[in-house]
Amino acid sequence: MDPGTVSAIAAPASGPGLVRDLRLVARQLRYEQLAFWRNRTGALFTVGFSVIFLLLLSASGANQRSNVIGNLKIVQYYTPGFAAYGVMSACYNNLGIVLVVRRETGLLKRLRLSPIPTWVLFGAILASNAVIALVQVALLLLIGRFAFGVVLPDQWAALLLALLVGVVCFSALGVAISTVVPSQDSAGPIISLSFFVLLFLSGLWFPLKAGSSLAKISNYFPVHHLIVAFFAPFESKLGASPWAWGDLGTVAIWGAIATIIAVRRFAWEPRRH
Amino acid sequence: MAEPGATAVSVQGLRKRYGDLEAVRGVSFQVARGEVFGLLGPNGAGKTTAVEILEGFRGRDAGEVRVLGYDPASRPRALRERIGIVLQECAVEPYLTVREVLRRNASYYPAPRPVAEVAELVGLAAMADVKVAKLSGGQQRRLDVGLGIIGRPELIFLDEPTTGFDPTARRGAWDLVRSLSDGGATIILTTHYMDEAEALADRVAVIARGQIVAEGPPSSLGGRDVSEAKLRFRLPEDCSSTSLPVPVHEVGDLLEVATTDEVEVLHLLTGWSLAEGVPLLGLSVERLTLEDVYLRLTAGGDAGGTVGAPGALADGVPAGRSAERWTPAP
Repeated sequence: MDPGTVSAIAAPASGPGLVRDLRLVARQLRYEQLAFWRNRTGALFTVGFSVIFLLLLSASGANQRSNVIGNLKIVQYYTPGFAAYGVMSACYNNLGIVLVVRRETGLLKRLRLSPIPTWVLFGAILASNAVIALVQVALLLLIGRFAFGVVLPDQWAALLLALLVGVVCFSALGVAISTVVPSQDSAGPIISLSFFVLLFLSGLWFPLKAGSSLAKISNYFPVHHLIVAFFAPFESKLGASPWAWGDLGTVAIWGAIATIIAVRRFAWEPRRH
Repeated sequence: MAEPGATAVSVQGLRKRYGDLEAVRGVSFQVARGEVFGLLGPNGAGKTTAVEILEGFRGRDAGEVRVLGYDPASRPRALRERIGIVLQECAVEPYLTVREVLRRNASYYPAPRPVAEVAELVGLAAMADVKVAKLSGGQQRRLDVGLGIIGRPELIFLDEPTTGFDPTARRGAWDLVRSLSDGGATIILTTHYMDEAEALADRVAVIARGQIVAEGPPSSLGGRDVSEAKLRFRLPEDCSSTSLPVPVHEVGDLLEVATTDEVEVLHLLTGWSLAEGVPLLGLSVERLTLEDVYLRLTAGGDAGGTVGAPGALADGVPAGRSAERWTPAP
């Protein structure tokens, strides 16, 4: 390539204080997005997985109804469930692993040494997770609606709130879990295993029987509650409230605890020190 | 607050402890603006810790530190915008291209160098659209150097900038350091290579066991400019050394004369050689190298008189002297 064609002057973020930094968040967000979508494994595991599972599970019995879930079509159950999965996968599983890799390869140290403010960096990461979650939810809803005739929610605001709470709290959980993983090699096993065990316990693959011991256990963890919070806006036609305040509250408490752990334990340099 | 003065960095009584280990034990030094300052020392001597404190990455337990007039402990953004850092290990997002990474980092600074200029400077102009993951190790390190200088830093920290480079790449890196220095930047360089320190640094400090054990220009460090010179040669096998005009001692299969007046001794020896018709095979005159001085200064206790001998090197670091024999590719 001709060196002469290498870019024009990189425009610096300008404008006073906050405006400049918000612009910096937007720029950083762009590169976070590029890095996410170009990492095929991570993108496939997060976005592709939920789409494939929705297709497989629903195609195998899309129009059957289940008594366990209030005589709903099975696909009507799986669509919000996998939307919640997408949020959790992007924010907890993907972010957790990415942060460990960045820490252990020295990327975080480099960022720490650069002038970028910490809040700008984390703001961009959070925003990037929100974008991934939005794309994913939109994709699932489109597939659900047009392939399987899923009834979309009346209360979009309730779904958006669940999405927002999910992104923030599970991002905090992702940061928190990254601080307890000692090495790059153990990041995938520790984070993904904990994630899938909780998903299994939480009724993503099959609805939990109320009062069963699985339901009792999963009640203590945030995964089940986020799934319920995503489910509620779809369920409101049955007369229930679309706002799952109690479940969102539980997720928020987990998010708060995770934030405390994340802030206290966060490390910018490789653990092998 | 931040006063532009003649001093870029000033460190007084710096201390840092990790648990039971006191990594930095009362270090003091100053670096003038525009100076290239070399920090030498074995691994674990405390030089990385000291540098990381200056960079604002690590806090300190005691001491006064000023970097471009700022206390780095609070990591002021204005300071971070004015320094550039090249770490030993390169760390760049694998999924972004060279141009994207440079552009992104340029946006962190108020008045960055143009991306194209930086790509050119570090020899990556032709690779601008290649993803970082596809770059060779050397190219990634050069990109890292590019990120270190993209913000037009007044002060640049280079942590072992040429470790793992082939001789040609090393000379290229040295040229870059010189041109940055010519452009007015202050440079703090840590290195294991004595020839590198000698080639680049105006002044060096040697850190051992958390303290500075010597400081000065590389040419006179540890008194090497006034120390003894060593003359070495062999005699043909049938000749005895007893008839030589000066006392010698054997070092391996070589004869050695240590003297502070090598002109006189050379004159005696070569006069004798011509008069007797006995050649002085492989005659060489060597002064204490910077590496000799370094090894003497950093030896843990008694070095046993093996200073400068092969095998006496700590950490398996390649000898500076053997590096001098490397011939850069034309």
